Amino acid sequence: MGFRSYLIRRLIYTVIVLWVILTFNYILFRVMPGDPEKMILDPNFTPQAKMELRRQFGLDQPPLTQYLNYLKSLVKFDLGLSFSTRRLVWSELRERLPNTIVLFSVAFVGQAALGISLGVASAANRGRFTEKFVVGAGLFAYAVPTFFIQLLLLLAFGYYWPIMPIHGTMSAPPPDGSWARFLDRLWHLILPAGSNILIGFGSWALYTRNTMLEALGQDYIVTARAKGLPRSEVLYHHALRSVLPPIVTLIFMSLPGAVSGAVITESIFSWHGVGRYLLDATLQMDYPAAQGAFYLIALAVIISNLMADIAYGLVDPRIRVGAGAGK
Amino acid sequence: MPRKVRLMLGLVLAVAMAIGFMGVPAAAQVQFEAWGPHVDEIIMPIIREQQARRIAFERGESIVWSGLTQPADIDHARTLPYADMRWTLGFHMFYTCFNMRKAPLDSQVLRQAIAHTVDRDNIIRTLFKGYMMPMSSFVPQVSPFFNPDVPTYEYSLEKAAEVLDAAGYKLDPATGTRIDPNTGKPLPDIKLMTPTYEVAATSAEIGKIISESARKVGIPLVHEPTDFNTMLDKIDYHDFDMYCLAWSLSKNPTHLVSFFHSRNDVEAGYNNPGIRNPELDRILDLLDSAPDLATAKEAADAAQLILAREMPYIPLYSRPYIDAFNKTLVTGYVDMAGFGAASYNNPWTLLNIRRVDRNGRPIEGGTIRWALSEEPKNLNYAVASSAYEWEVLNKTADGLIISHPETLEDMPWLAEKWDVGVWEVEPGKQGTVITWYIRKGVKWSDGMPFSGEDVKFTIEFLKNNQVPRYLPNTEHIVKVELVDQYTVKVYFDNVSYWHIYNAGLAFLAKHIWEKVEDYRTFEPWNEPHPTIKGYNQVVGTGPFILKDYVPGEYVRLVKNPNYWRLNPTEL
Repeated sequence: MGFRSYLIRRLIYTVIVLWVILTFNYILFRVMPGDPEKMILDPNFTPQAKMELRRQFGLDQPPLTQYLNYLKSLVKFDLGLSFSTRRLVWSELRERLPNTIVLFSVAFVGQAALGISLGVASAANRGRFTEKFVVGAGLFAYAVPTFFIQLLLLLAFGYYWPIMPIHGTMSAPPPDGSWARFLDRLWHLILPAGSNILIGFGSWALYTRNTMLEALGQDYIVTARAKGLPRSEVLYHHALRSVLPPIVTLIFMSLPGAVSGAVITESIFSWHGVGRYLLDATLQMDYPAAQGAFYLIALAVIISNLMADIAYGLVDPRIRVGAGAGK
Repeated sequence: MPRKVRLMLGLVLAVAMAIGFMGVPAAAQVQFEAWGPHVDEIIMPIIREQQARRIAFERGESIVWSGLTQPADIDHARTLPYADMRWTLGFHMFYTCFNMRKAPLDSQVLRQAIAHTVDRDNIIRTLFKGYMMPMSSFVPQVSPFFNPDVPTYEYSLEKAAEVLDAAGYKLDPATGTRIDPNTGKPLPDIKLMTPTYEVAATSAEIGKIISESARKVGIPLVHEPTDFNTMLDKIDYHDFDMYCLAWSLSKNPTHLVSFFHSRNDVEAGYNNPGIRNPELDRILDLLDSAPDLATAKEAADAAQLILAREMPYIPLYSRPYIDAFNKTLVTGYVDMAGFGAASYNNPWTLLNIRRVDRNGRPIEGGTIRWALSEEPKNLNYAVASSAYEWEVLNKTADGLIISHPETLEDMPWLAEKWDVGVWEVEPGKQGTVITWYIRKGVKWSDGMPFSGEDVKFTIEFLKNNQVPRYLPNTEHIVKVELVDQYTVKVYFDNVSYWHIYNAGLAFLAKHIWEKVEDYRTFEPWNEPHPTIKGYNQVVGTGPFILKDYVPGEYVRLVKNPNYWRLNPTEL
């Protein structure tokens, strides 16, 4: 099978998967208990007023009509009006996306860089203090709840030693001048991103350590050592290179997090992001807002997977041949 | 001493103790001025995490730590030397509701007996460390419509057993359950729904306490923590025995009509207990269509007496407003009955608050920082619906009338006066007509004059567009007539004293809003003002102007130089 037919096949699968996700997205919110207009608990709202609200939300239409309207709107990327804020969902998401992407990117790069480096170091120092420390710290960070660490940091650096901002992405109001503003943003990023790095580096470190240990026991590593290659060359050019593909997969699979955000981090540090928006929308039965946010996340996941598939297909012909042979 | 007197004395004592406990001076009168504001700028950082709000207050980054509800937070705030604790009765009501539509809770005696098993004092002491007010009326104590003569059901297991024995609910010694005299069988399990411990721990615990107490007298009450949305669904479809929930009420007793009139015992109606009492319906009709205050008060009193007998709800407690102000930063905040000192519904604090110097003396001007606990999201007057949105918008808007902070009596504000009359809607049918005399000299924040044309435009705009938030306000309005530039007549299709509150709107500046194509997607805070550079289209008549709103970060308000109450003139 050529690359073109492989790509077409992947695209068709992607569209089918997207349709299935969107359909589930539609059904799930409607089978959940509760209705948007029931969220209005105001004794002044008469049953007639509630019915009018239902009509304005479009919930008086038959379910199939609602479903078709929903699909039609999403194809046009019209995410509709939020029930609770009455603002365009896309405007609200657009406001939040940059914050989520910045927080996620910094945290992600930090986690991966710190975790992979420590994983390699611990594998190279098996049985020594470095390994024990990395494994211990990694397991601890992996096991402790996110909110606990973050609240501790907030308390430590916001209250007992108040040198850090405790909320938001900037000072209120921000300082004048673009350089001062940039530094202000950076200052606000330290606690949320730093706490995420602390919490997330463990899994990267442990995963890298385990795969590296496996690689270091392989025959070609023994051969490389027997050839008298320097230790660092064996470690980075031979062992690490061989474990990079699964790590790259992990990186690709983590990318959608840049869109979905981190609900807990965003809540604790009052970070104006997508994760908190999604949580609020779900709790308030705000169908358009929740559907819009899930749509965005689904798109991010699917596009990431598609990119990974395409990249694999390009670099490894066995994958596209295998995909064809299986049919 | 009669029981009623004992209970009233107890209530007074509880209030006095609470006030003394909080360290609030027992001032007889609230001090306030009807002009201001006295600060130049308010910066409202948006801090959603409650511990972060506490830290912000302690770091001096917010002048107030408002809406304290957790006993641990209140205890902590009281230890801070710079915190001035303010305590005000509120319109909140936590209650237990019975489903009166079906056996066995269709029995008034059984409901009354359960009411006797509820130990409010114990609940408040153990779960809230005494920071809630016991409530046994269907109208909050702070409301001018509260009837102090309504009998209460004191906590007494002996009394509950006595009531049950007298009505024939004999205790089955074998099972420990009461026998229903109507069926001759033991009472079936009665399920008491509450939200789950994860969602509302205290509500769930209250459910457990009430159930355990009722079982002591042989009433098989079973506590059933339920997912909140499922609970709301079940209540809507009347698929419940009992549940615990809370309402946020208002000074007016019109909620009695919504909650207890038989016409609201329909799907999506609020008569959840399903009470159908013709005598009560007649009185509630009178309350709903009262032509004047005296009739309304009389009807509200009578309705409360019937409800105390029928017992569709057991009112349990009312949450007061507890706010901590940093007295080293500000002074002048005003306690407002029912709303608290820091609530967005309290316009008096906004007008009176001042910064203080190092010696604690009030000073004019300057900036204060006042934390917002949630994102305001939408600052469009027609669309904004949450308290957080109105916490910002109310600082930029004024109403035709205003409530006195202590007595809650209506005072003239944008309207100098008003007349309430009747007109003939159709032959044989009368309706209310309200004539508003609009104050001259009031300006919008952009300097344009505010007049009756804006009032007429706003009401017609909201009605014609069927704006959801204002549906209850506009549904009875038939027409609006501009008599002259400063006189507006609003005609309603029925007679009701309460219609004067249906004009309690945030008014829309005609010169801005008549150009709006779709009010639903209009974002006035993001739209530049058509003539004034640096302004946006959030144009109001209130003491402040919205200068900046950076979503997720902060709101910045500055003093309105065109505000009509900048100087102390006669109202």
